[in-house]
Amino acid sequence: MASSDEFFDRSEFVQYFRDETEELLQSIDADLLRLEGFVDSGGIDAEIVASLFRALHTIKGSAGMLEFADVQQIAHKLENVYDLLRKDRMPLTEHGINLLFEGRDVLTALVRAAVAGGEPPTGVEEYVERLDAFAGIYDSTAQVIEGPRADADAEEYLTPLDDAQVAAFQAEVERLLAASATAVDADAAQAAVDAFLTADATVAAPAFAARAAQPAPVAAAAAPNAPSAAAPDAKRAAKNQTIRVDIDRLDLLLNLVGELVINRTRISDIAGTLGRQLDGGARSDGDLATLAKDLSESSALLARTTNEIQESIMKVRMVPIGQVFDRFPRMVRDLAKARGKDIHLEIAGAETDLDKTIVDEVGEPLMHLVRNCVDHGIEPPDVREANGKPRHGTIKLNAYHEGNQVIIEVSDDGGGIDLQRVRDKAIRMGVIAESDRLSDPEIIQLIFTPGFSTASAVTDVSGRGVGMDVVKKNILRLKGVFDVDSVPGEGTTFTMKLPLTLAIIQALLVNVADELYSIPLDAVIESQRIDAADVRTVHGGEVITLRGQVVPLIRIAEFFRLDAPRDPDKVMIVIVGLQGRQVGLVVDSFQGEQEIVIKPLSDVIGRIAGISGATILGNGSISLIIDVHSLVAAARGTGKVTRAEFSGV
Amino acid sequence: MAETIQVVSFKLGSEEYGVDIAQVQEINRMVAVTHVPRAPQFMEGVINLRGQLIPIIDLRARFGMPRAEHSKNTRIVVTEIAGKRVGMVVDSVSEVLRLALDQVEDAPEMLTGVETEYIRGVGKIEDRLIILLDLARIISGAEKRELEASDAEAVAAA
Repeated sequence: MASSDEFFDRSEFVQYFRDETEELLQSIDADLLRLEGFVDSGGIDAEIVASLFRALHTIKGSAGMLEFADVQQIAHKLENVYDLLRKDRMPLTEHGINLLFEGRDVLTALVRAAVAGGEPPTGVEEYVERLDAFAGIYDSTAQVIEGPRADADAEEYLTPLDDAQVAAFQAEVERLLAASATAVDADAAQAAVDAFLTADATVAAPAFAARAAQPAPVAAAAAPNAPSAAAPDAKRAAKNQTIRVDIDRLDLLLNLVGELVINRTRISDIAGTLGRQLDGGARSDGDLATLAKDLSESSALLARTTNEIQESIMKVRMVPIGQVFDRFPRMVRDLAKARGKDIHLEIAGAETDLDKTIVDEVGEPLMHLVRNCVDHGIEPPDVREANGKPRHGTIKLNAYHEGNQVIIEVSDDGGGIDLQRVRDKAIRMGVIAESDRLSDPEIIQLIFTPGFSTASAVTDVSGRGVGMDVVKKNILRLKGVFDVDSVPGEGTTFTMKLPLTLAIIQALLVNVADELYSIPLDAVIESQRIDAADVRTVHGGEVITLRGQVVPLIRIAEFFRLDAPRDPDKVMIVIVGLQGRQVGLVVDSFQGEQEIVIKPLSDVIGRIAGISGATILGNGSISLIIDVHSLVAAARGTGKVTRAEFSGV
Repeated sequence: MAETIQVVSFKLGSEEYGVDIAQVQEINRMVAVTHVPRAPQFMEGVINLRGQLIPIIDLRARFGMPRAEHSKNTRIVVTEIAGKRVGMVVDSVSEVLRLALDQVEDAPEMLTGVETEYIRGVGKIEDRLIILLDLARIISGAEKRELEASDAEAVAAA
């Protein structure tokens, strides 16, 4: 667990707790309102009660981790009341529902006080007494409430933990809290020292060094000396608030900015044309020339402001993937314990930003992959030892940017995918025939067959029919790519490539068969105009040699089945980079660079290999955006590109 | 008085079709359509409708009729079904009609070249026959086929 320590930042957790709890409290409110409809009706909707039970259980758990004892206590007591309702041991009365509403408000007040670090609200004890008295009527075993819950009924909703696990977890949390407390102190100390140095540059360097060597005491020592520095810090912390905004509103804003960008480009075009016409006509119409100059100046200004707005909105929508990764250390720990495995989780790249909508969607597939690694990937310790591996397995979560994509990898050092078993299973399922000869990569692809699972025993975690096919589908839906690589005995790596955002990019505009296509600029390495005679044929595919490197060519017109006469003398080539390889895209002509707003093609058209969307240009015409990855992949599939050149891709 | 529906009627060749007016958003003259390569053959392409990309279906191609040259009467009927906007190219738009529901009969099989799964019924006004289209099916059919096609492509690519 060593690597997960650095991700435990208490302030981040508190913020997360506040946001999560706020949402849960809202759902509790809504559920209570629905539940109220059942008062005195003799029956209740079990779904609503279960939802309330879960919400309170989550709050209790999170509060427990952060040691917000008051919140934990109230959540626990309320949870208990819902448990009585759930088990039909308590009728739903008007008095009862009022107490529950009140409980929700008490909980809200307590959460706010806990998050702000302020005094707990008054009247809590009095409420607890009333609640206990009320619940006591129905629950003669009320005193048992304080003990760990271990009844069979709760297992339907919760992952059961035994006492030892609870104790172990408690210890771990305490250790993490202690570790993070030191880290926070070190930061504060650094800030204080910095402030001190700035305030008085004559402070002797040795003093600084001595203090830096012992960060924790410095915080205490420096604070009284620099109260002016500490006070603004506290103020800033108080101001560092977030608001939750409906994602639809952000989307709307982004769309509007998109329109703004299009029109800004159009105004620049008009200003340019006007200027040229005035110059071309050599007119000395003073007023008009001044106007044209003003127009082009203010359009430049508009461009700058628009860019800034655009960037700000993009930033608002970007969130670190760590938000999703954060849930895994706990999950892996619990799962590993339950499976009798020893697993280390290593996380890298948690700060990698990507669009909020993508972050929201990617959690589920990632969770499935991680569970898969725990369940099917990592072998039991004894098996590992027998195979000469360390007893503990390692699962790595890694995220990084590559071009305008985010790559997320989930890998384990387990046994790898058992190709023979996959093959046997596929034959049993009738997906392939006994006689089919498949390459190893082809066999691996079989795990994406709907309903496929090689798990010998169906566990309650993975292998319940929700398989890799669902993961792959979800990722395709996000316009991403999903792949798996496995080496028997050494482990498995799942790789997903996701678009960074669904927004605005720089593109190179090119002509192909009288249409304008946009090629995302971050994929473009250079553009070249070469002699047609320099194009060679290798294994039926066209290539050129560029600075000693053989670069395969794809003729866009042919790939898209468009009518375009070939220039007998010259070939216009856009060299694009793809996972360290170069590919040349043959076009008719280059039309310069432009900022474009990506608009998805309608669902009605569906996904088309080689096209990721479209954009509307300044003159109102449409340019399709070339998706370099899928274009090259599809061209490979059709054999239009020399396979030999791609063997390493 | 029987219940009535309002339909926008248009022509493809010599036949008259109708769609529920509630599903029609606007009717436009033919504009420049940007071709989308490798799309299904009945996909004419996309147009820019006031900053929005709208996919355009060539209804003739959708129904397996021969394509026709666009004329000054050619129209794009922009529809919205289940939040999806789609434009359909038709030979000409006739009028808005009111049809009594008891004038609408189930589609006889093999009535026209149009596959009957896209037909909600046939309305009769005097001696005119109006073929009422089920737009949701026309669009979902398009989507389904396209999904199948792209799945096949994905498998080929993998």
